[in-house]
Amino acid sequence: MPLLELSNLRTSFHTRHGIVRAVNDVSFTLEKGETLGIVGESGSGKSVTCYSLMGLIPQPPGRIEGGRVVFDGVDLLCCKPEQLRRIRGKRIAMIFQDPMTSLNPYIRIEDQLIEPLLIHERIEYTEAVKRGIAALEEVGLPDAAKRIRSYPHEFSGGMRQRVMIAMALITKPDLLIADEPTTAVDVTVQAQILELIKRAQRQLGMAVMLVSHDLGVVSGFCDRVQVMYAGRIVESAKTDSLFHQPQHPYNRALQNSIPALQPKGTALYTIPGMPPDLSRPLPGCAFAPRCEFAADKCSTGEIVLKEVAPDHRSACLRVQQAEIKV
Amino acid sequence: MTAAPQPATLRPTDEIEAGHSLWQDAWHRLRKNKMAVLGGIFIILLTIASFVTPLVASDYYKHQNLDLGATPPSHAHWFGTDQLGRDLLARVLYGGCISLSVGIAATVVSVVIGVLYGTISGYIGGRLDVIMMRAVDILYSLPFVMFVILLMVIFGRNIILLFMAIGAVEWLDMARIVRGQVQSLKKQEFIEAALALGLRKRRIILRHMIPNVLGIVIIYSTLIVPSVMLLESFLSFLGFGVQPPMSSWGTLINEGAKSMEECPWLLIFPGLFFSASLFSLNFLGDGLRDALDVRASKD
Amino acid sequence: MSDAFLQLQNVKTHFPVERGIIFRRHIGEVKAVDGVSLSLLQGEILGLVGESGCGKSTLGRTILQLVPPTEGAVILAGKNLAQLKGRALRESRADFQMIFQDPYASLNPRMTVFDTLVEAIRAHKTVPSSELANRVSELMKKVGLSPRFLQKYPHEFSGGQRQRIAIARALAVEPKLIIADEPVSALDVSIQAQIINLLAQLSREMKLTLVFISHDLSVVKHISDRIAVMYVGKIVELGPATDVFEKPLHPYTKALVSAVPIPDPEREKKRLRVILSGDPPSPMNPPGGCAFHPRCACAVAECSRTVPGLDNFNAARQVACIRAKEIN
Repeated sequence: MPLLELSNLRTSFHTRHGIVRAVNDVSFTLEKGETLGIVGESGSGKSVTCYSLMGLIPQPPGRIEGGRVVFDGVDLLCCKPEQLRRIRGKRIAMIFQDPMTSLNPYIRIEDQLIEPLLIHERIEYTEAVKRGIAALEEVGLPDAAKRIRSYPHEFSGGMRQRVMIAMALITKPDLLIADEPTTAVDVTVQAQILELIKRAQRQLGMAVMLVSHDLGVVSGFCDRVQVMYAGRIVESAKTDSLFHQPQHPYNRALQNSIPALQPKGTALYTIPGMPPDLSRPLPGCAFAPRCEFAADKCSTGEIVLKEVAPDHRSACLRVQQAEIKV
Repeated sequence: MTAAPQPATLRPTDEIEAGHSLWQDAWHRLRKNKMAVLGGIFIILLTIASFVTPLVASDYYKHQNLDLGATPPSHAHWFGTDQLGRDLLARVLYGGCISLSVGIAATVVSVVIGVLYGTISGYIGGRLDVIMMRAVDILYSLPFVMFVILLMVIFGRNIILLFMAIGAVEWLDMARIVRGQVQSLKKQEFIEAALALGLRKRRIILRHMIPNVLGIVIIYSTLIVPSVMLLESFLSFLGFGVQPPMSSWGTLINEGAKSMEECPWLLIFPGLFFSASLFSLNFLGDGLRDALDVRASKD
Repeated sequence: MSDAFLQLQNVKTHFPVERGIIFRRHIGEVKAVDGVSLSLLQGEILGLVGESGCGKSTLGRTILQLVPPTEGAVILAGKNLAQLKGRALRESRADFQMIFQDPYASLNPRMTVFDTLVEAIRAHKTVPSSELANRVSELMKKVGLSPRFLQKYPHEFSGGQRQRIAIARALAVEPKLIIADEPVSALDVSIQAQIINLLAQLSREMKLTLVFISHDLSVVKHISDRIAVMYVGKIVELGPATDVFEKPLHPYTKALVSAVPIPDPEREKKRLRVILSGDPPSPMNPPGGCAFHPRCACAVAECSRTVPGLDNFNAARQVACIRAKEIN
């Protein structure tokens, strides 16, 4: 049994401008100890997927319209609040993009750090503090015993992100969801943070879901990668084959537009047009209007994610019918 | 085709798309807010009635009929009459004229002073800013009622003084708000871009600063008007304000309260008008805030 | 270099740190830019990289005189900008322009695109009204936007389109030098490519000298002729883009390059990583000697005493490290 199984998750936001279908029929599984990357541009639904399965979607305006999120046999969307509390924050932990806003500026690091321990493990306060200090040392915070008494604003951005990671790992979760954990920090700090998560993963054997807009970050970090576009998964494969044999035009276009992969001085490939407006119904493939391979059926046909090569799934109709090679 | 200047290079098929300014968007949103629209309509009607009445019947409000005395509302006098037999409807409308004038005049005074003071303090910054803001703090700490009494003692009772006293207090908030806005605007990149273009300071302030501060100034002024009207009625209630035979809503409520038990209508009608206009102004202010708020217009 | 178009000579920008409300006490200085010398040829693209707080943005704003330099000279086409004041400075601004990071904040939300561009065109030239519409449409086409959108307001555009408008505004005064401060960091990957292509093309066609400031080394490598790497207010390495990226000389550049994730799993697995410890020091009291020495794997005792100058490593490359010859 997989650790986490999402099936047909649909999340929408009811706004002034209509219903925005942020996540549209997303299904995937995650095995124990696996590292899954979810990439996509802003508005692709990658973050909303994570927030939905953590039950962190503000309702209203958000609404989970349907689907199942089964974690270790428990459906998180319809289980008792009691059960959910025991899983969330203990067995599933999350790291957010902005450590500045996800730490409470008025509470000492110590109290924020050991709170999950006191709630979920019911251990003695002094014992919890000891484990808090150990957790901070683990993430490479110098002088942890003293600095645990500080407030969040006394740390630099990179340090705060480490504190966030220590906090997420302190209950030894089975699944860590990292939502753009390195977007707000510099590259050298990014390398430190990714290394840190990787080490913790090896030690605890936890599964990691890494959400990022940066193809570079996921390529070195994940076993498997999913590409999202306009609220749907358009491609899902082992990291190597996703990068070396792309099976969806969007994935290929994305890779062609990254300077790091292109010879210097050449014009970068650009995807024409703009991402679609999710508050309008999108018949067929949402990428069709911007796709160089699009045919008539792309804007009418039903789009499903299908296996097109061993362990490699694509949502492109024409790839599925072997009409094109991207 | 819009009225915009048309680039000669355009083909006739390329129609210029009309844009919607943030003001238009705000107006659109405001129109959807029923309470704000109702409030606005009420204020407009009241203003017209209050300012037209003294014109067409300039003396009616002080026309006494001692034989009649205080009578409850009737066909001849819709709101009844007071102890001196004066028509209450006329007095309420006349009072509205005074109250609204005080409210609007004091608001204009406070907006002009506050915007100028706040913009200068925020734009120039540094030591001048510190000194100007400490001055505001000092003025804040003056006990207002004492200040008014002092003015009355020195200059005698005078409605102009009343405006001045109220205006002198209300601009302080406005100055602080505008200063804060200007300070945050100054850090915006479009102001830096304007500097980099080599535009003159005057143009930067007029074209780039003021239009972006205006929204909050409008919102805040609609909220100053009711607070000024409250102040005026408070002062009149204490006997420092408008003197008989002139009436403001404050003095009418004061008189009505004295004979509350025998002639309740003398309190009810002015009170009703006063609260209705305060409600309307506040609803309008809230509606404007929702409509003009830049954060809301971003999504 | 005699044919230098833009020359920086020992530019320093220090910000005083003061305490107290009315009577201010001077308690220190943030040395945001601390002695930068560079020269650029006309039409050259210089990439300026470094981590946040290294002073790259301040250097950009200092070149444009949006922040006055504390010391040093900024010489553009033979004219020292640092000495210009008031009217003279304002008039010379037609020669150099800036493109900003946040396309949502860099356009006045109350002005139509037409008004924004007209304001920029008229800032330095008197153009008859009859010609104005033409000029504006040309600008729009140059940055790949349809003149149909001229009467729209900034909030009606996407981030990428807004950045194009900002570029059009910068081009409106016909500048010779453009400083682009993180022009693509706020944009999505696919939109980044559009803006990078546009800037590269414009600089080629119009012989624009471009200083491209970014924290993203792979973007900078792609667009620039040369790269300057900054660390705590100083340039630590300067050289041709490909060389700096592929064979970095300074230990800091090495760490920076190795930290850039490459979207290619195979290359990513094979390469050697230098992971730095700790964070960059505060520019208010940087460590003595070489500012990088506390984090440097190659540091020796001498590094904490001597401030290294930016010396020639070979004809094309310069590096500020006393052990450069030993470790490379």
